[in-house]
Amino acid sequence: MKILGISAHYHDSAAALVVDGVPVAAVQEERLSRRKNDASFPLGAIEWCLGSAGLEPADLDAVVFYERSMLKFDRTLTSTLRAFPRSWRSFPSAAKNMLGEKVWARGIIASYLGVPRRKILFTAHHAAHAAAAFLTSPARRAAILTADGVGEWATLTVGRGERHADGRTDITLLREIRYPHSLGMLYSTVTAYLGFAVNEDEYKVMGLAAYGHPTFAEQVRRVIRRRDDGTFTLDLDYFEFHTTAERSYSSKFLDLFGPARTPYQPIDLETTEGRRFADIAASFQLVLEETLVAIASSLRRETGLPDLCLGGGVALNSVANARILNEAGFDRVFVPPAPGDAGCSLGAALYADRIYFKQPDRDVPDHPFWGPAIDPHELARAATEDGQGLQELDEPSLLERVADDLVAGRVVGWLDGAGEFGPRALGHRSILAAAQPAAMRDRLNRDIKFREDFRPFAPVVPIEYADRLFEMPAGGARLARFMSGVFPVRPEWRESLAAVTHVDGSARVQALERDMAPRLYDLLQAYGRRTGLPVLLNTSFNLAGEPIVSRAVEGYLTFRRCGIDVLVAGNAVVTKRVAAPVKSIKEYA
Amino acid sequence: MPAARTARAGRLFRPVHRWVWGDLDRRVRKLLVFGEVETDGGRDILRAAEVTPDPLLRRLYLEHALDELRHGHMFRERGAAILRARALKTGVLLGGNPLPGGHGLDDLHVENEPDHRLLAFLHVAEKAAAGRFAIYRDVVDDDPETRAIFEEILRDEVFHMNYSYTQLTRVAPDSYARHVWRARASRLWKRYVRAMAAIAALIGNTILTLVYFVLLPPFAWLAKRAERREPPGWSAVSGVRDDAPTSQY
Repeated sequence: MKILGISAHYHDSAAALVVDGVPVAAVQEERLSRRKNDASFPLGAIEWCLGSAGLEPADLDAVVFYERSMLKFDRTLTSTLRAFPRSWRSFPSAAKNMLGEKVWARGIIASYLGVPRRKILFTAHHAAHAAAAFLTSPARRAAILTADGVGEWATLTVGRGERHADGRTDITLLREIRYPHSLGMLYSTVTAYLGFAVNEDEYKVMGLAAYGHPTFAEQVRRVIRRRDDGTFTLDLDYFEFHTTAERSYSSKFLDLFGPARTPYQPIDLETTEGRRFADIAASFQLVLEETLVAIASSLRRETGLPDLCLGGGVALNSVANARILNEAGFDRVFVPPAPGDAGCSLGAALYADRIYFKQPDRDVPDHPFWGPAIDPHELARAATEDGQGLQELDEPSLLERVADDLVAGRVVGWLDGAGEFGPRALGHRSILAAAQPAAMRDRLNRDIKFREDFRPFAPVVPIEYADRLFEMPAGGARLARFMSGVFPVRPEWRESLAAVTHVDGSARVQALERDMAPRLYDLLQAYGRRTGLPVLLNTSFNLAGEPIVSRAVEGYLTFRRCGIDVLVAGNAVVTKRVAAPVKSIKEYA
Repeated sequence: MPAARTARAGRLFRPVHRWVWGDLDRRVRKLLVFGEVETDGGRDILRAAEVTPDPLLRRLYLEHALDELRHGHMFRERGAAILRARALKTGVLLGGNPLPGGHGLDDLHVENEPDHRLLAFLHVAEKAAAGRFAIYRDVVDDDPETRAIFEEILRDEVFHMNYSYTQLTRVAPDSYARHVWRARASRLWKRYVRAMAAIAALIGNTILTLVYFVLLPPFAWLAKRAERREPPGWSAVSGVRDDAPTSQY
C-alpha cells in the first residue's frame, strides 16, 4: 500500500510517504521552502515525497491527516466559550483561523492532490504521535507516553503498543489529560515569559536551566499542581493562553515570578536579573521532569513493560528523557528523531497502514535520513563559478583531509546523503568542529551560529566510546542514538571536552553506530587517530532563525556568510578563500 | 544622492512621521518591526540567491541579503538599546510574543519568480524604501544614533537600487522598462489588496464580536456547566476511532 501522511496548519508542516509498510521519504516543509517552522500546507514536501518514489497522487491508496480537524475545532470553540467573556478578543481570530483553513483539511487535500475524498483519512493527533514513537522503534511491546502542547483535546496520553508474532499491530491509548492542563503549554508559557519564541525556542529554556538553581520550584508547584493519581492540573489563574492570543501568562504569574524578559533584553548571567531568569528556567525544568517521571513510573508499574516509547514535542526535552530513563524503571526509552508534530506525518501514515488497513508489521529502518539527498555537483558548480577553492577527493583522502582540518581548529560544514527528518542534525546536515577547546563553543555561538552565548553544543561519538566518556546508564546509548538524552560527561574528560560540556557538566550526546552514518563514523575514527579522542562537536547546519539546510547550494551560501572554514558535500571539498572585497562585487552595480 | 529624493507623498506626510517617531514607545516599536522586516527580506533575497541559475546574480543577491540581515540587526540593536535605556510601556507591545514581522518582500514567493521580475521588484521596492528612510532620517534628528543607522542604510540602498536596475537591463535588455512598470503596478495592487483585506478583517472582527456577545452567552453557560462536571486528572481517550478512519470528529 502507498500511504501519504500529512501534518500541517499549526507549526512545522511535513509530509511522509510509506510504501508497503516502510517509510520511503519524509521531509518538513521548512527544509524546502526555507521558512523556519513553515506551517503552510506542505505542498512542496508532498511533491518531493511523491517525486522521490516516482508516484503520482492517483497512485496513493490513502492520504492521512495527522489530527481530527473538527474535533480540534470543537476544542477551540469550547475553550473560547468556557472563557466567556474574557475570550472576546481572541474569539474573532480563533474563529477566522479555524474556519478559514484548518477545519477544511479534507477539502484542501482533495483539491491540492486531486484524490477522491474517500481516500482521505484522519488519525487522532496523539495516536499519530504514539505511532511515530512506537512503530519506528525496534521494540516489540512497549508502554507509550505522548505529551505536547495540545492535539484535539489531549495534551498527554499513556498507552501501550504491541507488534504480534502473526504480524498484527495494536496501539492502545489508555487515557489522556485534556486541555488546558498541558505540560507543553506550561513549558511554552515559561518560554514566552523568558522572552523566547513559542514553539521554537523551548530548548533554550532547557539550556538556560543548567545555569540556574530551582529556587522557584515551590512557586512553580503552585502553578502546576500534582494530583494523587500522578496527573496534574494547571491553576488557570496564572495563565491566559486559553483566553487570549496576546499573552500566555497572566498578571498573577508576573506577581509570582516577577517581570518578564522582553525578547530584546540580553540574558546576562552575571546580573541578578539574568540569574533570576536562569533560576526560573531551572525551576520549571525541574517540575516538568518530576511530573513526567511520576507519570512514567506509574505507567511502568501498570504495564509491567520494560520499554517506553516517548512521543510529542515534550519528548524533545532531552534532560527530562534522561531522567525518565534513570528513574522511571524502564530498561530502554525510545524517542524517534522527529517526536514533534512533523513526525506525526510519518506516524499518521504508519498508523493507517498497521491499524486501519491491518497490514502486517514491518521493521522500520532505524535511522532519520528520509529527506532530499545532496548533489555534490551543485556545490562544485557554485564554488567554481565563485572562484572558491574546490577539491574533489576520493573517500579515504577526503576523510584524512577533513580530519586534519578539524585538528587544525577549522570548522567544517558536512553535507552527506539524505537529509534528516526532525529537528536534530545527526550527521548528514551538520557543522562539525573540535570538541576540546572551550573557545570553540564561543566561536561557534558568536561567529557561526550567531546565537546566545549560553547555548551548549552537542558531541557525536562512536558508540563504542560513549560509555567511556559519558556516564551512560543502561539504555543510555539507545536514547543517545538520535541525540535524545542528556548525560553527564565523566569528570576526567570534562576539560578535554570543554566545547561540548555544558555548565552543569552534562552533554546531549549522539552515540553513533557505523551503520547509521558510515562516513561520519569513519571521520570520527580518523579524527580519533590524530587526537586520541574520537569526539566531535556536532551542531545543525543552519544559522539562527533559519531551517537546517537541505540542498548543497543552501549549505554553500550559509558557508559563505558565516565563519565555517571548510564545506564538504559528497566528494567535493571547498575551502573558504578570503571573501572578495565588497567593493569588487559592488562594481557590478 | 538618489536615496535623498524623497517621494512627494512622503514629504506631505512628514508631520505624521515626525509625530510617530517623536514618541519613544512608537519609535522602539518601529525600529523593532523594521528589524523583523529587514531580516525577513534578507532571507527572501538569500532564497533568491539559492535558486537563481545566474552566478553573478547569486553573488549580488548574497551581498544584498547580507546587507538586509545587517540592517535588521542594527534596527533590533537600536530598538533594544532604547528599550534598555528607559522603562517603556512594553507590556502589551512585547508580552511574550514576537512582533509581527511579515515578509520583507511582500510575501513574494521567490522560487516562482524569474530573475527579471525579481530584479524589477527589488529595484522598485528599494527605491521606495530609500525614500521612506530618508524621511525617517530627517525626523529623528534628535537621536543621532538612530539617524546614523538610517544614514548607513541609505548608502546601502543606493547600491541595491543601482545593481538591481543594472542587472535588470542585462537580463532583460529589451523589456526592462516594462518590467519596472509592472513591478510598480504590482506594488500598488498589493497595497490595495492589503488595504481591502484590512477592511474585511475589521468588518469580520466586528461581526464575530457581535456574534460572540449576542449568540454565544447561552452556549457559554452550557460549556461552563459542562466544565464544572468534568473530573480533573485522567479522562477517557478522545478522537481515537479506529472504526471510523474517515471521520474528522
